[in-house]
Parts: sequence; C-alpha cells; structure tokens
Amino acid sequence: MFKFTGKVLSLSAATLMVSSVISSAASMDDLVKAAKAEGQLTTIALPHDWCGYGDVIAGFKAKYPEITVNELNPDAGSGDEVEAIKANKDNKGPQAPDVIDVGLSFGPTAKADGLIQPYKVSTWDSIPDSAKDADGYWTGDYYGVLSFLVNKDLVKESPADWADLLKPEFANTVALAGDPRASNQAIQAVYAAGLSGGAAAGEAAGTAGLDFFKKLNAAGNFVPVIGKPATLAQGQTPILVTWDYNALAGRDTLKGNPPVDVVVPKTGVVAGVYVQAISAYAPHPNAAKLWLEYLYSDEGQIGWLKGYCHPIRFNDLAKNGKLPADVMAKLPPAEAYTAAVFPTLDEQGKSKEAITKNWDAVVGANVK
Amino acid sequence: MTDLSLSDHAVAGKTAPPAEARSLRLPTQWLGVAPFFLFAIMFLILPTLYLMLGAFQNDAGEFTLENIAALAQPSIVSAYWISIKVSLASSLIGAFAGLAIAIAIVRGGLPEWIRSATLTFSGVASNFAGVPLAFAFIATLGRLGLATVILNTLFGLNIYAHGFNILSFWGLTLTYVYFQIPLMVVIIVPAIDGLKKEWGEAAATLGATMAQYWRMVVIPVIWPSFLGTVILLFANAFGAIATAYALTGSSLNIVPILLYAQIRGDVLHNAHLGYAIAFGMIVITGLANVFYIWFRTRSERWLK
Amino acid sequence: MKSGKFWAWVVFALGAAYFFIPLIATVEFSLRMRRGAYSFDAYQIVLGDPRFQATFGYSVLAAVCTIILGVLIVVPAAYWIRLRLPQLRPVVEFITLLPLVIPAIVIVFGYIRMYGSNSPLPFLASDMGTNALLVIGYAMLALPYMYRAVDTGLRTIDVRTLTEAAQILGAGWGTIIGRVILPNVLIAVLSGAFLTFAIVIGEFTMASLLNRPAFGPYLQNVGANRAYEPAALAIIAFAITWGCMSLIQILSRFAPRSANRPN
Repeated sequence: MFKFTGKVLSLSAATLMVSSVISSAASMDDLVKAAKAEGQLTTIALPHDWCGYGDVIAGFKAKYPEITVNELNPDAGSGDEVEAIKANKDNKGPQAPDVIDVGLSFGPTAKADGLIQPYKVSTWDSIPDSAKDADGYWTGDYYGVLSFLVNKDLVKESPADWADLLKPEFANTVALAGDPRASNQAIQAVYAAGLSGGAAAGEAAGTAGLDFFKKLNAAGNFVPVIGKPATLAQGQTPILVTWDYNALAGRDTLKGNPPVDVVVPKTGVVAGVYVQAISAYAPHPNAAKLWLEYLYSDEGQIGWLKGYCHPIRFNDLAKNGKLPADVMAKLPPAEAYTAAVFPTLDEQGKSKEAITKNWDAVVGANVK
Repeated sequence: MTDLSLSDHAVAGKTAPPAEARSLRLPTQWLGVAPFFLFAIMFLILPTLYLMLGAFQNDAGEFTLENIAALAQPSIVSAYWISIKVSLASSLIGAFAGLAIAIAIVRGGLPEWIRSATLTFSGVASNFAGVPLAFAFIATLGRLGLATVILNTLFGLNIYAHGFNILSFWGLTLTYVYFQIPLMVVIIVPAIDGLKKEWGEAAATLGATMAQYWRMVVIPVIWPSFLGTVILLFANAFGAIATAYALTGSSLNIVPILLYAQIRGDVLHNAHLGYAIAFGMIVITGLANVFYIWFRTRSERWLK
Repeated sequence: MKSGKFWAWVVFALGAAYFFIPLIATVEFSLRMRRGAYSFDAYQIVLGDPRFQATFGYSVLAAVCTIILGVLIVVPAAYWIRLRLPQLRPVVEFITLLPLVIPAIVIVFGYIRMYGSNSPLPFLASDMGTNALLVIGYAMLALPYMYRAVDTGLRTIDVRTLTEAAQILGAGWGTIIGRVILPNVLIAVLSGAFLTFAIVIGEFTMASLLNRPAFGPYLQNVGANRAYEPAALAIIAFAITWGCMSLIQILSRFAPRSANRPN
C-alpha cells in the first residue's frame, strides 16, 4: 500500500512539477512583457567592481534592451539602501530604488518594517533554505569569505592565518576595510578572528575577536585606517582584511603594481551572505522581478562567479557541472572554502552587539 | 574717531524714521529679506524638521525622550568633546594663519599675481576635503609618506621614532587646517581690502606708529569679520566627516562619524539616535553662535 | 616697511609649502601607476573617460546657476539686515551656520519626502524640476560662505551713505542694490562665488541621492576601488577647478569700476 501511495505521490509531484514548469514558462513571458512595458529598472549600491556587477548589468541590458538600467549611488551601504526606500515611499521618480542588495541581517528588519515585497524566483528550490526568507521576501544572492590582501612589495612572507598577524614582522601593516562600529565587513572580520581563536559562535566569538584586535593594536601591528586598494598600494595598509571578491577584484585593478597575494586564512573562515529584495514601493515592480529572475538564472549566477563572488546556487551549479573551469581557476583553491562558516542571524546579531558596543573600550585604538 | 563699523548700537541709534515714512518703508525691507527666509524655510528648515521630529520619536512613531537621553552615553559624550576640541583647534589655527597669509598678500607688498593666484587657489583648497585630502596627507606624512621618507633618508630624521603620528588628534587637526586656512583667506581678504589707504596715511600724519595703527585702526575694523569667520570655521570643522573618516576611521570617535554610523551604517542603523546626535550638533552650534555674538558685542565695546 | 615685505614673503613661502607638499605627494603617487617608472597612465585613463567631460560640464553649469541664485538671495538680505533690521542678524547668522552641521544627507531625504512626485510641489517629477531642486540645495549648502563673504564686504562700505545718496538722486531699491551696492561689494561676492563654485564641483551627497549626472558622484565612482586613478583624478579636478576660478577672476576685471576697486 505504501508503494502504491508512493507511486501516486511521486506521479502527482511529477505532474505538478511539469505543470509548474509550463506555467512558469508562460508567466515568464508575461513578466518580460510587463517589465518591458515599464521600461526602466532602478538599482542602488551596485559598484561595477563588486562581484562583477558591471558585467552582470551589461548582460541584463543586452538581453532586454528595452529596459534602461538607472543606477543610483554605487557607494551606498546597506543602511543607505533601506533609508532610500523609506525616503522615497511617495516618490515614483528615478530616485526611488526598485531592488536592493543588502547584508543578511537587513533582510528580516526590512521585512518587519514593511519595506520589501515577496517574490520567489523560478530557481527558488535550488537555493539553500538558510539563505532565503520562507515567504520569499528576501533571497540570498552571493557570498564570499574574509581574506587577507597582501602587498608583496612590502610584506615578504604572507600570513597564513589570523594568529600569524600578531607576529612582529607585521608591525604597522594590518588594516580593516571598514569601521568596526558600523561596517558589516569589518565586524565580520573581528568575528572571524574570534572564531579562529577557538571561541564558540555568537557573542563569545565577538568578544574573543575584540581581544585579538586589542593584542594586535598593543603589538603595534594594527593600522586604524579604513583600508582601500589605494592605501594598500601607497604602503599605509600593506595587509588588508576584506572579502575575497573585493581582494581578487583589487588584485585585478592593481595589475601587479604592486604584486599582491590573496590569502584565505586556515581557520576562522567566515562567509558573509548578501540578499536581494524588491522594494515594496518600487515604481517598476515587474522590471524588478525580471531582474531577480536574471540574477538567479545560471547566466546571472555565473556572472557573479566571474566577479569572484560565490553565487548562492554554487552547489547546485557544481552538481550540474555548470561551473566554467577557467573562472574557477582564478579563485582561491576550493579546499580553502571547506572550512567556511555561515553565521546564523542570531549569532550575527549577538556578536554585532558585542563588537560595536565594545570596540572603543576594549581595543582602545582611540586617538589621544 | 569716525564710527566706521555698522554695529547694532550705531544703526539702532540713528535710524528712527518718521512715523508715516516708517509705515511706508516697512514692507520694502521685509520684502528684501523675504526671499532669504522663504528659501531658508522651504529648503533648509522644513526638510530638516523631519530630523528634529525624528530625534524625539522611536521606531513606532511615538514621542519619546530616550534618544536624547541616549546622548549621555560615555562614547557619545566623548565624541562630542573630541569634536569640539578638534574644531576649536583647527578653527583657531586656521583663523590666525589665514589672517597672516591674507595680510601678507594684500598688504605685504608682494607682486599682484600672487594675490589673485592665492585667492583662486584658496577657493579650491577650501573645499579640498574628504578622501583626497586624507590620502594626500597619508601620502605625505604617513609612515611611507613622501615627506617622512625624505626626512628620513636625506636628513636622518625619523619623525615616527620621535612620536609623531598622522593618525592622531594633531594629525587630524593638521589635515583640517588645510581647508580652514583657505576659507579664512578668501573671506577676510575683502575686509583687509576695505582698509582704505587714506587711513594709514592719516594715522601716519597724526604721528601714529605701525603698532598703534594696527591696534587702533586695523584690528577694530577687522575684528567683527574675523570673529564671524572664526565661528564659520568652527562650524565647518564640527560638521566635517569625510576627512576624519578617511584618515582616522576607526580610531577617532568624533560626532559626525557616530551620526553617520547610525543613519547610514551597515550595522547599527538606529536612525532616531542619529537624528538625536544631529540635533545635539545643532544645539552646540547654536550655543557657539550665542557665545560668538556675546563675545563680539563685548569686544566691540572694548575696542571702541 | 622693508621688514614688512620680508615677513610677507616668509609667511607666503610657509603657506605655499604647507599647501603644495601634500599635492606634490599625491602627484608623485599618481605617477606610479606603471611599475618601475613614472608615467601619466593614470591621467590618460581618467581624461579619456567621456563621462568625465559630461559630468564636469554639468557641474560647472550647476555651479554658475547656484552662484547667481546665491547672490540674488543673499545680497538683498544682507543689505537690508545691515541697514534696517539689525535685530534679525543673530537669527540669520544662526540660519547660515545650519548647513554646516546638518548633514547633507538629512536635507536631501527631506527634499525627497517634501518634493517627491506625489507632493504639492513636485520638483522631482521632472528632470528640470530636479535640476532646479539640486541648484537650490547647492545654494543652501553654499549659504554660510556666501553670506559671510557678502556680510564682510558690506562692512567695508558705508551702506547708509551710499543708500541715502542714491535715494536723493531718485534711485529705486532695485537700482540701489543692483547698481550702487553690488558693484561695491563685488570683491566679496566674488569670494563667495569662488567658494560656491568649489563646493558645487565637489558635492556628492545631493547629486547622488537626487540621481543627477554631476561630477561628485563620478569622482566617487572612480575612486571606489582603484588605486592610482583617484589620486590622478583629485589632482585633475583641483587643477581644472583652479583654472575655472582664475577665469572668473579675469572676467571680473571687466566689471564696473567703483571707489572700492580703483584698480
């Protein structure tokens, strides 16, 4: 009897899948038509060097030439994007963003504030559950891990792990790529340092990370400047802790002047997930949905891979053998990513709290 | 001595137009300032009222004083204090250095082209701030900066070994002064220009020494403008964030950085606290303005 | 007097050193783009970008409009306050200090809320409207400098006497302000104009949030992840802005002469 039920169930499941594929193909055409009718997509905070967004946007424009892409403030942070939605609630002009790409913790808060609308892309099922909202309000789009970008002109031997950074030969070299009281990237770096020391995930790792940076600062190895490729090349911040995709993009722009190394640390490998969402007040909701469909299609995901980001459907693509070998060759070796840890929202929240509140007091890299 | 400064005292004493004429004239003067106030209200005050209101609200939209109370946190209080110190230091240094340069180019007997070149350069430099300025100073006085390296290799002087650090309070003040001095120069040059040659000649005829001329003629005339520019410099430094952020990002805790962290940050994002911080900045600027007016009135009386 | 000239040179030299050394360091870094040799590669990349000219041109036009608007708002107000309404001076001075401490981002968000496409004054509903709002916003940002400069200039002339003389000769208020007062404070207005110009060229927040193709967002865009180009761009922007101001300075020589500007 179970076998029979099983057959019926699997048959109906198969029928459902086929019909949903057929219906989604039909609805896809409708979506394209509706999006083209709207004629414009307004994005925000998408620097062209970040995850290869330049090429991804160009790919979208080439595929749908009737839709102009209006790019707002590429320098915006996740907070800026949310504020932009709030400010433009009543404004349907080109200042209002249609889609946002924000840090993981901003997804649930934006949903709670009623600023985003749900949409489940056609490849929804191949996205891991931990990286998407069950109701479809936000969807994880890519991730990267924290790495060290090392200026080989000034640093002879690259550090292999967090503990190496404390060594005396790295005096006045280590910098974060943001302000640990405000920037997601910098906070995750502190968190990763804590995890590398063996602390438990969550608040404990946050506190341990603060202790690590306190030691780093006391040893004179920490440079309290917000590091960029420019300061790396100039020599003020020869070792920069940043997302691997930023480090690799930086390596490309520097073109060997100076030569750099991108090192994923052996321990304390923290992955940061970013999420896509559609604004609840989007002036062009259909264009926004089409944009999401493009991003989560194989083409979009591989576009991000070319920008050195790990697309959220990475495992699915790998399973189906869709990852181009030449692109994979440019990334750090895959073994480096096996130890990657994906902090949950709860762990992120608690460690964020600990780090932002105590950075000034504990690390005391404060200026006299 | 002729009352050359149109201080409140002087004007108030002399303008008392006859009653009928007053009622005729009243509309005109208010019409004259109307555009200013109209623009200021519509495009400056009203848009920022949202911020003022936001300082007293929480996320649910209810009225609350908790954001203002939150300003009493030690980290925020110390941020305000450091901001005030940096602003005071850079505005005073910038003011006096700027005054010296302005006097040098106007009255110093230097060639004419130096004056116009300096004025236009100052115009540009007064707005040269943010990342380019911070980077310029890192490239000059950072550990591997041009000046640091030259001093080390050519003169054997290692400034970092002597305790200098560009990433410090004085390093930040030094960087701020880069746009404070030009601002002072540009604004005070017209005032120094206004010192008529005849006054110097008249003073010399009456037997005054240079020192007396400066003390009794020049300083009283320039003093109100100078003081007004000092407060402008103070507010300019107080509100400046981009330079500080780019230079001392995570080590120096100044108010605009805190404010931006709350309004724009990836993480903290309590916009209401950010608005409260901005409200506090406006209050402090208001207090500085009051102090400036009080000081100016008192010193004008003393200078007469 | 001789010692005066000596000290003037000393002060000037010290000032020049302080201001030029950081610029030289920036130039030195920007020349390092090609490994091992100094080259102008970074400059070539920057200048070859068509967006550079487009955005710079837009910002120059915006700057000129802002200067004109600023003069129209500030000069009459400063004049009347000096002449007749001294009790308003503290209020006005406080207002002019506000743009320095209120973050531009707060002002712009206020604009978007108040003048969005659904409001009674829909500036943002059209391109020209948004341009107008941007110019007005710039004028507000430049208000502190313009007001302080004009106020300083008005102090140096005898406003009352000039006004009364012009009135006796039968001039109306427009003539008084436009043909008597303004030429006499032209130097001060010029100072304010320089400062306004520099502010508008470099301004980022307003232009970016109102989605206008100005120079500030372009600068930021290029500077984001590059190493050498931002330094080159900073120097180029500095040089070009200086050039534009020198142009304004030269053009002002053709302005009407006045007792205050005998040369």
